[in-house]
Amino acid sequence: MQTAIQETPGIQITALKKAFGQQQVLDGVDLEVPRGKITVVIGRSGTGKSVLLKHVMGLIVPDSGSVRVGNDLLADLGPRALRNVRFRFGMVFQNAALFDSMDVFENVAFPLREHGIEHGLHPGQQGTPLGTARLRGRAREAAIRERVEGMLAAVGLRDMGYKAVSELSGGMRKRVGLARALVRGPEFLLYDEPTTGLDPIMTAQIDNLIRATQDANPGITSLVISHDMAASFRIADHMAMLYEGKIRMNGTPAEIRSTADPVVRQFIEGRLDGPIPLG
Amino acid sequence: MNILSALGATIIAQFEALGGYLLFVGKSATAGFLPPYRVRLLLKQMHFVGVESLTIVVITSIFTGMVFAIQAEIGFSQFGANGLIGGIVALSLTRELSPVLTALMVNGRVGSAMAAELGTMRVTEQVDALESMAIDPMQYLVAPRVLASIVMVPALTMIFNVIGLAGCWYVAVQQLQVPEGGFWARIWWFVDEDDVLGGCFKGAVFGFILSSIGCYQGFHTRGGAEGVGRATTRAVVISGVLILTSDYFLTRILAPLSVG
Repeated sequence: MQTAIQETPGIQITALKKAFGQQQVLDGVDLEVPRGKITVVIGRSGTGKSVLLKHVMGLIVPDSGSVRVGNDLLADLGPRALRNVRFRFGMVFQNAALFDSMDVFENVAFPLREHGIEHGLHPGQQGTPLGTARLRGRAREAAIRERVEGMLAAVGLRDMGYKAVSELSGGMRKRVGLARALVRGPEFLLYDEPTTGLDPIMTAQIDNLIRATQDANPGITSLVISHDMAASFRIADHMAMLYEGKIRMNGTPAEIRSTADPVVRQFIEGRLDGPIPLG
Repeated sequence: MNILSALGATIIAQFEALGGYLLFVGKSATAGFLPPYRVRLLLKQMHFVGVESLTIVVITSIFTGMVFAIQAEIGFSQFGANGLIGGIVALSLTRELSPVLTALMVNGRVGSAMAAELGTMRVTEQVDALESMAIDPMQYLVAPRVLASIVMVPALTMIFNVIGLAGCWYVAVQQLQVPEGGFWARIWWFVDEDDVLGGCFKGAVFGFILSSIGCYQGFHTRGGAEGVGRATTRAVVISGVLILTSDYFLTRILAPLSVG
């Protein structure tokens, strides 16, 4: 089954360009995100990593180039078909982007309430598929409660469902965001700087959670945006560095670690001297 | 040359903004008619726009009616026509004061809140989160707010009419000794259903203006807390100006219809 998962296409980004006004943010990005793996895109702040992630979900339209998700070329899709592609994604936002008008439980339950509990988990994802029967009334509510509480327990937030979003710490917010992204059993999981602003212990905890989620659900294809080198090496199967709007290097963590490319070396070692301009 | 190019750039920017707003309105209208129908969200917004605005509308309307009764008495007493107070104030309320003052009060409370709430959701990526979950934010956030305002501002306008008239009655009949029979008779004589319906129609248009501008400004917020503040201010100012200017054009359209 593992082989079958990896044979289906993941995410293919080809010659992607995007400018905002005079600023060319992405200048021909080519990147392949393999199925069933964690790919981490590293790069300095403000280099367009989050813009790249939003292109993958079709939240931003590129000036040129293409994004292919599985067998779907996003540029060819109408609004409804694009929504169906987004249906297959889960996204963990940089600051969690939790709905502050809802408590923790309702935040995690939200995708289920909107799209239904009846969707089965993705092949390869751990857990019990809920079947395809359309649940209604109390049965539906009970199924949602069971699923949400299971997700909260999986991210270490058992019995925290009643809490208001404003009561949560940064790490708890990220974990709720992860639970919300996972609750419908996505095929693709996107993380936008999941450990930014967290203390080292919490960073390690989130990293473990990302890795454990991937290992427990080998069908998921994960794309992580980060500038935290230690965290990136901990979780990545593949890594790519975004620099001056292009992918500077693409390889395994070992290949990135041992590269002679002065730009990549300066970035991963965090040195001030080198070819990367400061400022 | 520089002045001309600056002027040209300003005009183009204004047309771009107008085009953006019209597209936004078109999308929200389309989204509102497509399933799933967000009845619960609509009811929640109707409660927010209508029920929670009742206190300010009641206070504003009762004092407006009372003040207009005093002002009318000053004028009409000079030629012994105090009996006209009820009719004139009722006509002013139904045609003009109720829709305009209701809209301005609701704009201050609701238009600003819509801009601030949607603006905060935009800068904290909550709108992106909705889109990432394959939920259309126009349908989820904008359409219920606009529709609720179109329904509830006319309802509040009707309440303004009734309470304003009660305030007028209290001052005119109880304090200024205007005969009660003449007071009510003049109201029935002066005001017909076209005046009331015209006022409600204005209320619906004003409700659309304040909610669509509030949502548009909030939806296009950029730049953190400062951006949210700017969007909120712009929403209240633009809506206020548009309510007053559109009132003139609506009056020009409606006035001939209610003659006779």
